[in-house]
Amino acid sequence: MIILVLLIATALAFDFTNGFHDTGNAMATSIATGALKPKTAVLLAGVLNLVGAFLSVEVAVTVTTSVLKVQDSKTGHLIPSITPSTGLTIIFAGLIGGILWNLLTWLFGIPSSSSHALFGGLIGAGLAALGTAGVNWSGVTSKVIVPAVAAPVIACLVAACGTWLVYRITRSVMAKRREEGFRWGQIATASLVALSHGTNDAQKTMGVIALALITTGHLTGDVKKDGLPFWIIFSCALAIGLGTYIGGWRVIRTLGKGLVEIESPQGLAAEASSAAIILSSSAAGMALSTTHVATGSILGSGVGKPGAEVRWAVAGRMAVAWLVTLPAAALMGALAFWLSHGVESLTGSDLAGDGLIFVILCALSFYIWWRAQKQKVDSNNVNADWDSSTNSVVPADVREASKEAKPTAAV
Amino acid sequence: MTYLESIFKVLVVGLLLGAGLPAIFAVGMVAYSKGAGGQNDDGTMQAPNPALKYLGILLFLFVAWVIVTAVAWITRATLIHHFGFDPFPFIKS
Repeated sequence: MIILVLLIATALAFDFTNGFHDTGNAMATSIATGALKPKTAVLLAGVLNLVGAFLSVEVAVTVTTSVLKVQDSKTGHLIPSITPSTGLTIIFAGLIGGILWNLLTWLFGIPSSSSHALFGGLIGAGLAALGTAGVNWSGVTSKVIVPAVAAPVIACLVAACGTWLVYRITRSVMAKRREEGFRWGQIATASLVALSHGTNDAQKTMGVIALALITTGHLTGDVKKDGLPFWIIFSCALAIGLGTYIGGWRVIRTLGKGLVEIESPQGLAAEASSAAIILSSSAAGMALSTTHVATGSILGSGVGKPGAEVRWAVAGRMAVAWLVTLPAAALMGALAFWLSHGVESLTGSDLAGDGLIFVILCALSFYIWWRAQKQKVDSNNVNADWDSSTNSVVPADVREASKEAKPTAAV
Repeated sequence: MTYLESIFKVLVVGLLLGAGLPAIFAVGMVAYSKGAGGQNDDGTMQAPNPALKYLGILLFLFVAWVIVTAVAWITRATLIHHFGFDPFPFIKS
């Protein structure tokens, strides 16, 4: 029972990290151009994510069946060869892998896919628990890898077309009016992206929690038909809303300032492209990573405007991080599983194993957060000039200040 | 291959809505701006033209309507489930 509570807390923590990691997808462009003040933007995004999470009525028990082969496809229950204890540990380890990767990439201000982090963690834990038979490889290919490659390309194309059209059409409009008009448009499109993010991403955590509850027998009946208990929906919606409101300023900064120096028309085209693609893909049943789409769109808006500056070095660094996400999160998930399983075999206590990895998660999370505070990026300096010499997410003056405080080099 | 099909569908809808709507919005802005008159960037004056202004507003409303329709389409299942209201009764779900 305690393990279940710890697991649910960890799942909500993942949802929280998912929230702040993805705030930038909707709001970075609006914050960068001044269409919205930073605090207003994250408040708006937080509320819309909360609303969006409630709007989705489809049950997301499929999120774990997409990548793992641990459930009966009809009932969603664990297959007989897996004990509930192992099942819970797999989920637990998967979440831990996802959270740690999310935190690491946040520290470096790298926009990366929370979906992939979670999938990676689960795949790693599944591999550690069951070997290659535990992973749904065709699901991984069709639902994770193919969309991951297609999404940024589609987004880049669409945003580039939109940006080019928009600049061409309005070239005769007074600059002031253009800025103002597009700022309003930015608010509308950014809100759409935040809403669609809420409908998409909270589902992942709901699915994971549902699986855990099915495993322990707390959730019976046909979840597909009856829907999920309200408290699961409510807590996941709240977690993602709060996370969004906290605002991953480091990621927002990279998206808004690091990749492309953005003007209002580009911001509008980028968010419109993101919104259209996210919504149409979920309607088509092909779940794309909102981060991949948003980043592709922002890059496209840089490509589409003649004379815009695109920092391909930053984009390249991000692409590497994306490639590494699945394996890295998988590795962490596998390590977490082995550690917990090892302790469980030694002591015979499930709680010792899962409790240990939970404590390690808390410790590592705190450490990463603490490192971030030493070179803080928040709503005050999120729009500071980008340091092109280092391409570090930390503004140059904050870097200097922290170097003076401590002789050793920080992150 | 169904991947290609899905990808193609997303690309087309993405282009239509993701690039098309901003374009229409931009046209609306041009119309509204020309309609409102004032001083151009190069210093010349522009006479107000109410017809163009209203055309601009109309185009803005059109874009808003498309967006609302799209959101209603996506949340159709939710609306039916919670409010018993189907915004597209003429389309079979």
